[in-house]
Amino acid sequence: MSEAPSGQNIEGETPSAEPVVETDEATVTENAELERTLGLSGGLAIGIGTMIGAGIFVFPGLAAGRAGPAAALSFTIGAVIALLVALPTSELATAMPKSGGGYYFISRGLGALAGSVVGLSLWLGLVFATAFYLVGFGYYAVDALGVLGIAIGESLVIPIALLFGVGFTLLNVTGTENAAKLQNGVVALLLSILVVFLGFGILDAVGIVGEPTTPEQFAPYGPFPILTTAALVFTSYLGFAQVATVAGEMKDPGRNLPLAMVGSVVIVGVLYVATIFVATSAVGSNALSLAGETAMVAVGRELLGPAGGFAIILGGLLATMSSANASILSTSRAVYAVSKDALLPGRASRINLKYGTPHVALGMAGGPILLLTATGRVEVLAEVASFLHLVAYGLICVALLALRRDEPEWYDPDFRVPGYPVVPIVGGVASFALILFMQPLSQILGFLIMLGAAGWYFYYARDVTLKGAL
Amino acid sequence: MTRVLMPLAVLEGESVAYGLMDLLETMDVTVLGYHVLPEQTPADQAREQYEERAVSGLEDTAEEFRKAGGAADYRLVFTHDRHQSVERVADEVDARAYAINGATGDVNRLLVPLSGDVAVDRILEFVTELVGDRDIAITLFLASEADDADDLLQRSARRLRDEGLEVTTERVVSNRPFETLIEAVPDHDAVVVGEAAPSLSQFLLGDESERLAAASVGPVLVVRRETDGDGADE
Repeated sequence: MSEAPSGQNIEGETPSAEPVVETDEATVTENAELERTLGLSGGLAIGIGTMIGAGIFVFPGLAAGRAGPAAALSFTIGAVIALLVALPTSELATAMPKSGGGYYFISRGLGALAGSVVGLSLWLGLVFATAFYLVGFGYYAVDALGVLGIAIGESLVIPIALLFGVGFTLLNVTGTENAAKLQNGVVALLLSILVVFLGFGILDAVGIVGEPTTPEQFAPYGPFPILTTAALVFTSYLGFAQVATVAGEMKDPGRNLPLAMVGSVVIVGVLYVATIFVATSAVGSNALSLAGETAMVAVGRELLGPAGGFAIILGGLLATMSSANASILSTSRAVYAVSKDALLPGRASRINLKYGTPHVALGMAGGPILLLTATGRVEVLAEVASFLHLVAYGLICVALLALRRDEPEWYDPDFRVPGYPVVPIVGGVASFALILFMQPLSQILGFLIMLGAAGWYFYYARDVTLKGAL
Repeated sequence: MTRVLMPLAVLEGESVAYGLMDLLETMDVTVLGYHVLPEQTPADQAREQYEERAVSGLEDTAEEFRKAGGAADYRLVFTHDRHQSVERVADEVDARAYAINGATGDVNRLLVPLSGDVAVDRILEFVTELVGDRDIAITLFLASEADDADDLLQRSARRLRDEGLEVTTERVVSNRPFETLIEAVPDHDAVVVGEAAPSLSQFLLGDESERLAAASVGPVLVVRRETDGDGADE
């Protein structure tokens, strides 16, 4: 038996912990059972649904503008790093199948300070990511209206994004319908659109159908932009961490968690790389870059005519919406995990009596999301989101190394990382290293947020001890 | 004794009708207090906030069941999927049937439909134990176009009469068993049905016993299908 978390925060709240028994189907506490209701497909839908919006529908134009056709390599680098982190995360998640994901592993493996920094950073990381998805959605909405004959120009991108940001927040506070099935459907539809599109695009790219195109230089701007682009587009791989935040709700977590995390990274990684390859082959990286956030629409038109463009607009709307919604939804779990340990006031995760939803946590996410969306700075929003997640990923790898070194009695994961200790070491180093290739503004913002989180810990909850406390 | 699972939306103030409690006095009862959460709400958070209230409500309900006669205990589940939780707990406590709550006074007449692909033996066995030596009349109901339907109905009635129960039979020639069953409900206080095999119509229209409970207002006891664990013939 491990020790219980101890200490109290400035308001006198203590971490709440009860002995629990984890089974494959439920978490059993003294008086109650918490049903595990997510299967493998549900887990994959969360991972893929969160990720697919950014990498395919928002980044290709921006990435191609920076790195040329070598943007495909940037996405590959991102996928490899994500995979190197997904494996250690899977091991920790099967050892501690609790809601809260990365925060939980780090607070238990490395202690309350690291836990606070990561817990608050992951929450704000989700806020930045959601704002980024919303701005992306705004661009697609303007394009969609354009196709319908309502040309309103890019000045309305931000107002539309804000409007939907308010809408999603309200929907999450008041919506009691179970949207999980809808999410599965949306992900299935998106995958079908993409497979048709990519299938045709690859045939076109290798010259079997369509007009022959002149190949361009693979890396016109040299190797450095490939790495900065990898840092930018890493936001496309944040979704697997959201799978870890619902670890407490996965059925048969020993099997489903690793499959859902690694599986979703592999699936979207392959789709991303194929998409960039097809996009740069079809219209060339210069044209892509000029088309900006909705460059994929141009690619769709080039390959399949107006119908192709329309399908991509529809896909882009659905994908950015599902990413934004899935991220807002995860914020309530991020806040809950931290407040349960008395690192935030307990009232932050109170549940609304009327709707049964955590309205305070959702509101705490919704406000900053709107503020950030209003800036409209796609690249900075994406990079700060990645920054905050990458710090957590790096620390997840460190936590794994620390736990494996000590192997406390309670540590008994169903899944163990292959290639230990190389995988977590390389994963950790690569995560931290990728941060170095971001633009200075993103680095400063990310650093300030972490500093703020550490300051909060020392002010609010310095007496709380969490290390090793299951 | 045979066990019946009584799912109850305990935090929504749902309470078990007196007639249903009395009807179940011959059974062991597990009251399954459940609370269905929207997906944006972590189940553990709901537990921290509502556990105390739910437990006190469940203790009261279990106590009332004990007063009515049988042994009773309770479980409490926070879930995003009610159906999954009911199935899991029913398996774990090895419940022969689960109850769908409904308004009723004293139960004097039970309607027992045998239509469709249901495990007739299990239903008859359950009804025999449920009624025991009480003065509750049974109507065996069968809506079918098959030729051997009358035969099944008479055989079943004989079996119950041999156990000392008062049985009448009702045969309807129809290919719309559900609608004709609903028409037969008003003369009865409660219904005992067999759990139907999962089917397309169940997927499209919802569970038949749930629809029956909604249409009949009164309580419905659903005799579960054989599960793998029971080991008996299937």
